[in-house]
Amino acid sequence: MTTAPMTTAPAARRRPTGRIVLHICLIAVLLVMLYPLAWLLATSFKPADEVIASLKLLPSHFEWGNYSTALDGVNEVSVGRLLWNSLLIACGAVLGNVISCSLAAYAFARLRFRMRGPLFAFMIATIMLPHHAILIPQYIIFNQLGMVNTYWPMILPKFLATDAFFVFLIVQFMRGLPRELEEAARIDGCGPFRSFFSVILPLTRPALITTAIFTFIWTWNDFFTQLIYLFEPEKFTLTLALRSFVDASSQSAFGPMFAMSVFALLPIVLFFLAFQRFLVEGMASSGLKG
Amino acid sequence: MTATATRPPDAAPPATGGRRTPKRERQGAAWVFLSPWVLGAAVLTLLPMAVSLYLSFTDYDMFDAPRWIGFRNYTQMFTEDPRYWRSVITTLTYVVIAVPLQLLLALAVAIALKSVRRGKGFYRSAFYAPSLLGASMSIALVWRAIFNDGGSVDNLLSGMGIDIGGWINKPGWAILSVALLTIWQFGAPMVIFLAGLQQIPAELYEAAAVDGASWWRQFRSITIPMLSPVLFFNLVLQMIQAFQVFTPAFAVSAGRGGPADSTLVYTLYLYDRGFTASHMGYASAMAWALLLAIGVVTAVLFRTSRSWVFYANDNDEGAR
Amino acid sequence: MRANRTRASCALALVLTLGGTLTGCGGDGGGPGGKVRLQFTWWGNPDRAARTEKAVKLFERRHPDIDITTSFAGFDTYLAKLATQAAGGDAPDVMQLDYRQINQYATSGILLDLGEHPELRSSEIDRGLLATGAVDGKQYALPAARGTETVAYDAALWRKAGVPAPTRSWTWDDWSDAMRKLSAAKTSQGRVGSIDPGQSEDVFEIWLRGQGKSLYTKDEKLGFTEDDLTRYWEWSNGLRKQGAVSPAEQTTLMDGTVENTPLGRQKAIADFNWDAPVSGYEAIVGKGLKMAPMPVGEDGTAGQYFKPSMFFGASAKTAHPKQAAQFIDFLLNDKEAGAILGATRGIPANDTIRQDVLPKLEGFDQVISTYQKQFEGKLKDPPPAPPKGDASLQKTFSRDYDQVSYEHMSPREAARDYITEAKAELRQ
Repeated sequence: MTTAPMTTAPAARRRPTGRIVLHICLIAVLLVMLYPLAWLLATSFKPADEVIASLKLLPSHFEWGNYSTALDGVNEVSVGRLLWNSLLIACGAVLGNVISCSLAAYAFARLRFRMRGPLFAFMIATIMLPHHAILIPQYIIFNQLGMVNTYWPMILPKFLATDAFFVFLIVQFMRGLPRELEEAARIDGCGPFRSFFSVILPLTRPALITTAIFTFIWTWNDFFTQLIYLFEPEKFTLTLALRSFVDASSQSAFGPMFAMSVFALLPIVLFFLAFQRFLVEGMASSGLKG
Repeated sequence: MTATATRPPDAAPPATGGRRTPKRERQGAAWVFLSPWVLGAAVLTLLPMAVSLYLSFTDYDMFDAPRWIGFRNYTQMFTEDPRYWRSVITTLTYVVIAVPLQLLLALAVAIALKSVRRGKGFYRSAFYAPSLLGASMSIALVWRAIFNDGGSVDNLLSGMGIDIGGWINKPGWAILSVALLTIWQFGAPMVIFLAGLQQIPAELYEAAAVDGASWWRQFRSITIPMLSPVLFFNLVLQMIQAFQVFTPAFAVSAGRGGPADSTLVYTLYLYDRGFTASHMGYASAMAWALLLAIGVVTAVLFRTSRSWVFYANDNDEGAR
Repeated sequence: MRANRTRASCALALVLTLGGTLTGCGGDGGGPGGKVRLQFTWWGNPDRAARTEKAVKLFERRHPDIDITTSFAGFDTYLAKLATQAAGGDAPDVMQLDYRQINQYATSGILLDLGEHPELRSSEIDRGLLATGAVDGKQYALPAARGTETVAYDAALWRKAGVPAPTRSWTWDDWSDAMRKLSAAKTSQGRVGSIDPGQSEDVFEIWLRGQGKSLYTKDEKLGFTEDDLTRYWEWSNGLRKQGAVSPAEQTTLMDGTVENTPLGRQKAIADFNWDAPVSGYEAIVGKGLKMAPMPVGEDGTAGQYFKPSMFFGASAKTAHPKQAAQFIDFLLNDKEAGAILGATRGIPANDTIRQDVLPKLEGFDQVISTYQKQFEGKLKDPPPAPPKGDASLQKTFSRDYDQVSYEHMSPREAARDYITEAKAELRQ
């Protein structure tokens, strides 16, 4: 197997003017796309009476008070604590999904066993049921297990590969890997476990990193599960806490809410920036297809 | 869901090496790998699903014991609830707009990024940035401001002589602003496309370039077929997620599905029936009707996939 | 009812755990070290959270054997969360409840009959107000505070338009005339008079009561007919067509915040709202903000009433009913607690506490209490808590009216739709 060189797509071979046009197009699209983000950032500096009512991008004056209110924490719980709780849940979920989904995906993609067809069909079907419909039964189960007001309802399902999306994703990636890889490993005397850990898993790294990134972001933003299962404010997450600035039945503090959501965005931005480069480079050097 | 709806992932013939390892050992190994999933699927998925299936045949208000009423929820839904059918049409409109546009944009940007040499990481991160947000309350407020009367979009369009006014308060336009929120967050399919594009061996393009194939020709005969498994994955998943769209519609309409029910998509109505009106039985019936509908659409996709999805693995096998 | 429910949830739990880790359906015992642990939830904003936390600390100091865990969320999310907890047989020991939850929660056996607990005194709460927390003669919840509806308006613009100021006895016709004049006045610069009243079930209720009717009858049936509702919507829709009240595109932007009402967006001169949230307009309208009483019926019948803005109740499953009752008593009747809590949940329902608290109120709370004072002893008793099944009808009301204001349906068609749905919900 030769290591594939950095692949070059057709467009890259065109004349330099073509490349400049491409950059201009990309930047134009980007500007449009980033406009709402600029709005979000600008709003976090708006004084109270402009947050909702103003339809202008920039605040009339910069209101730093939003940030200091937000950073004071909520309900006597410090922002540091909220951040830590969010990180705990998100990291637990990432660990769970990467381990359990890759295990299940390997079985579906590379091993043969009875009932594989129906089980795979069932797994796909689980993605199709709106989760609101199973919320109450799930709550009763976690309540019976004594796990309400703990982080288990957010983490345990990930260790049990209930996110069929990721199992399916990794399955699709593993299917692209040539059969000969395992055959070669088997000739060297590797069983399914060895060949999973030392052959298949390293080659699936891009899919695993994709899984990690998506899991982190989606768990971080998953307001509803956290709302239902967490009770004590000391256990709240950033996502949950920023909502408590808003209450439709009384006066809301939208300014600090925006400040808090900008703040809550930082960890996921950092997580994404840290791992995004592995997404593609990892793939290019993995030497798929000999 | 029926077993025929989806094909086991391994469309390839039985692994060539399957003969060499005792069958029983591989079977056992498979179950070891599967055990976490089996446990999770049984306790946390199958069980709640069974309960919700049962509840769909009951009158259940979440507080008193469920009362068996047979198919009444289903007949009421299909024959007596005009709002139900409006929500079906709204959802279909959304699916038809959001899915193709989001995939097209994600694919176009992914292909463009592949040809970029400088600033790749920057572009990738910047295009992904909107997807970091989810449909949080703050982005909902931003969206409502931008698409309001006198908001940025209104100003831009009336500057060009197009006078629509606000989108979020016009029944015909509101669902479009919901769809745009989804399309805007195309980061996930883009990243998956990017990873898929990297899997295509460079030699294929080099050979094609030697033969003098045009860019379009290369795109059609190399990129698309080689990318088809990933394209298929994205299509199936985005379709399923689009049918279940909840948060963007909830966010943009402040949970109301307005104006005049024009953004009351299927799951938003389901949530409304279940949690606001305490008709959990009815909501469960809606969930199962949706599952069946998505199941049929997915089955059709899997069927057609045989003619256009191309697995490199099969090709490797055949080439030898 | 209660036993039935318990059996059902036990059966459900049995099915769910598949003979696995069933821990039994009894309530959990006391906390570690003999300390009684109570869970207490409410909805509200950070200010209410800070004050509540302070009051809870005081209670814990006085009762070293009781430990209270508190939690709060925004109103909409709170409702969904509490419903899930209740359905899971896991309602918190003490909970803040909305008017519209009482009947459902009481008749489903979620709530404890607080009348059986002498620790909890209710003698200082107005009889009429207290009755709203009773179902079938049992006191399931106690009102914590009260609010009433108002017409909030920009007095400066109102005066400039040359329209006579609202009086205590203005009728709905007077109101309509004022709105027409306001929207026609040049000084209003294109602003309409008011929010379209057609979208609000609350306003409809005041209008109905002004005619001696009510939303629900004593035996929990609908208290009005299709004709009544048609008449109301034809009236409001007529005003909309004349441009006296907000157009559909403005009305539909309402999302529960004052900022997104037509007055909040500076597209109208007046708005209907509950008195407590009106403070939110001050930042937008400024000093010219005033509050007028709701209009009265043609014969002078006032529809306005003091509504309990929220209640406290306890879980029927709580392991510590006595302590839960003690805690609720503390929140409602204790002087020190009253001083700490102020008007954060509304003007206190307890007469003594209210007298104590009123002079100390600051800012807009003072305006609200002055507004309420003019009605003291003059309003009719509030209606009993709405019957079970009403929970979603408020939403249905504005949803159906949306169809009218966007001209997808006639008032008659929409009214028929509403009545059909309301009857189905109330299981009539």
